[in-house]
Amino acid sequence: MKKQIITSLIGILIAFLIGLIILKLQNYPALESYKQLLNYSLFSRFSLFSTLNKAAPLILTGLSAAIAFGSGAVNLGQVGQFLIGAISVTVAGLFLNLPPVIMLPTLILIALLAGALYAGIAAFLKLKFGMDEFITTLMLNFIAQFFTLYLITGPLLDKKMFSPMTEAINRSAWFPNFSGLDFSFILALIILVVIYFIWNHTKMGYEWKVMGQNDLFARTGGVKINSNYLKVMLLSGALASLAGAMLIMGGVQHRFLKGIGANYGWDGVMVAVVANNGVIGTGLYALFFAMLQTGAMGMELETSVPLEFVLVLQAITVLFVVASRESAHLLFNRLKMYFKLRGIKSKEEGQADETTN
Amino acid sequence: MPKELIEIKNLVKIYPPETLAVNQVDLIIKEGEIHALIGENGAGKSTLMKVLYGMIPFNSGSIYLDNKKIDFKSPREAVQAGIGMVHQEFMLIHKYTIYENVILGVEPTAKFGLLKQKESKKRVQKIIDNYQLKLNPDDRIEDISVAARQKVEILKLLYRDVDILILDEPTAVLTPQEIEELFARLKSLKKAGKTIIFISHKLNEVLELADSVTVMRQGKKVATMTNEGLSKADLARAMVGRDVVFSIEKEAAQPADIICQIKDLSFIDNHKKKRLDKLNFTIRAGEIVGIAGVEGNGQFELVQVISGLIDNYQGEIIINNNSLKKLSILERRKLLAYVPQDRKNTGSAQALSLIENTIMTHHQINTRLTGKFDYLLNKKASRDLTREIIDDYQVLSSGPAAKISSLSGGNQQKLIVGREFAMATDFILLDNPTRGLDVGSIEFIQQQIIKSRDQGTAILLISADLDELFSLADRLVVIHQGRITAEKLPEATDKEEIGEYMLGARRDEIR
Repeated sequence: MKKQIITSLIGILIAFLIGLIILKLQNYPALESYKQLLNYSLFSRFSLFSTLNKAAPLILTGLSAAIAFGSGAVNLGQVGQFLIGAISVTVAGLFLNLPPVIMLPTLILIALLAGALYAGIAAFLKLKFGMDEFITTLMLNFIAQFFTLYLITGPLLDKKMFSPMTEAINRSAWFPNFSGLDFSFILALIILVVIYFIWNHTKMGYEWKVMGQNDLFARTGGVKINSNYLKVMLLSGALASLAGAMLIMGGVQHRFLKGIGANYGWDGVMVAVVANNGVIGTGLYALFFAMLQTGAMGMELETSVPLEFVLVLQAITVLFVVASRESAHLLFNRLKMYFKLRGIKSKEEGQADETTN
Repeated sequence: MPKELIEIKNLVKIYPPETLAVNQVDLIIKEGEIHALIGENGAGKSTLMKVLYGMIPFNSGSIYLDNKKIDFKSPREAVQAGIGMVHQEFMLIHKYTIYENVILGVEPTAKFGLLKQKESKKRVQKIIDNYQLKLNPDDRIEDISVAARQKVEILKLLYRDVDILILDEPTAVLTPQEIEELFARLKSLKKAGKTIIFISHKLNEVLELADSVTVMRQGKKVATMTNEGLSKADLARAMVGRDVVFSIEKEAAQPADIICQIKDLSFIDNHKKKRLDKLNFTIRAGEIVGIAGVEGNGQFELVQVISGLIDNYQGEIIINNNSLKKLSILERRKLLAYVPQDRKNTGSAQALSLIENTIMTHHQINTRLTGKFDYLLNKKASRDLTREIIDDYQVLSSGPAAKISSLSGGNQQKLIVGREFAMATDFILLDNPTRGLDVGSIEFIQQQIIKSRDQGTAILLISADLDELFSLADRLVVIHQGRITAEKLPEATDKEEIGEYMLGARRDEIR
């Protein structure tokens, strides 16, 4: 655990140093840019809350990927499941109007179910026909993209607007906002705790973990692989879907816009990979990337470093955190080997000296 | 005085991070001798030979061939220099014929890349005749016996004009008759001037075949001796570092009620091939039934059918009056414990901790591991159970939270055996439970098996090691091509006789 934190920090540090060089080479005020990046993401209540609000969906798509990958299910359908979640609460929010106490849980439930069902298609195809979820989830992403696009340009189009979007959902479906902090973040934290508990304290979570490492061992030990796989896929889909729902129910727009939440799906996969599918790690990296993305706007405003620089920084961070995790291990092993070899040789020389004396 | 062909000086090989596999070894191989390299599993003998063969790099030291310093970067270079190696796992293409396998990689080509078949085929045939290998170059590998495949591997090397042959545990997969045949061939190779390095841990074979013997222990060379007046006990002591008991002590079995019944058990695989053919036998409480057979004659399928990894079999398997048909693997595991042969892929998850590897199956069956609610795992009880098994089965580890991959093979296996025996079922299925372990672990695990039998467990032991079967089993069932060819009491038969049944040369009418 300690080693993990250290290698992660080293990776992040190197990424920032490289980012610094890139900024310098392009004649931007590098240190000032970093300072503004932090200012606009952490050092005021407003910026901190913006970061947390941005982190909420990312935590969920990250967990969606981490749970799936950690259990050996390659769900790459976060993008599609996210959109399905968003569109289903949009529809429900437009046509249902109940008191908030009932409305909010109902919509959350609808989002969870919709995402689970959507990921369930891929799970069904795998279990019934042996089709690889790696492919089917990717294909389902396109279906979700075009299906939602059809809905918001056709039946659900708000004709008063100039770009494709739906009308705003009913007020009763809006998440409460605590002086800038969206309820989404609190919900994401609760989910994180629940997933942590499942992963570490239940028999099911134990079985998933073993399946992710060696499913033959799990199967030989009596673990029901198929039903566990189905559960993992449903849960993974439900989480990504809830992330989509957050973008509609939380925030300020409360409507489904074209291209909504475009990055959350793949960023979630990225977060899970960087965090090596750990639950806590996924939460922390989601916060970190949300911080970068939030601060980027301030940086552009103050030092006119383009927003896109943060994408570069993210990519470098991913590469270096993952690489330093692997290479630190290799390097450590090499060093150990080297010292052992030296130990043998010096002993040998010592013996040689004795015999010559 | 034969000249010194290979000289290895002060060789060190460390597997990262700190596994010292070969520790400052000096070794001299003389021209035209059969040199046996013996030692326990993990003593470094295979590693040393792989270094010589150019398969893995070494850290320091030097190797001389004919007084020329060598440092092969790949096996190809070694073969060009005249050194060849036959591995434990054969590297053959099953769909190809013997001839095609032999020339693969060194195909004799004429103009335009055309294969010079006639000429090379003649050459292959000539080598076969010269060394009396008794092979037909047009047979496909999939149709020939394991022993024949091994001869093909040797033929491959001879075709490449290799002068030094390294054989890694060549007898592990052979029956006594096939071993005799192999030794005759090796002796004739020696007569023809070849040098043979023979890795083994079977002392009888070494004494029979070798001119000189080098003993390795824990990466170090203990001694090189000429094979004159050596005894098995001498070698064993040098190998293990202490006196070794050759036969395990056990009382006569006292079989009680029938626990497991196999009735007309047949299995046909996806290629419509009959892998198990009407097997019938029973196992009683308090006895060990051993299955003998050349590998690939149905043992694998028998294990899978019982453990539940294969479920479309015909006939019946009955344990404690429950038919296994229609039972899920989990339900079966309430009736049977199972130690698989493949420790790393079937018996454990190498990336997980000792705890996570120990509680497998227990977490669903052993109520002790259930937390406050049925779906919860009791973390403390999990740790306690792991600690108990670590203590009871003398598992050397840095603690229950360590990764299982940090343990030696023997300690991993002890943990797995401990996990399964702790299931306290009436029936235990053991598939080569001591394969590839050091002598200490083998002794310990065998004692545990006997102990469990004496407590009234019915045990089915499948083993490729005839010595193990003879020292543990109370009854022997021999299978050949999926059929039972004999059922014998070990005290009323011997290895040679069992060998004939294993090869299918003899067959008893069983019921």
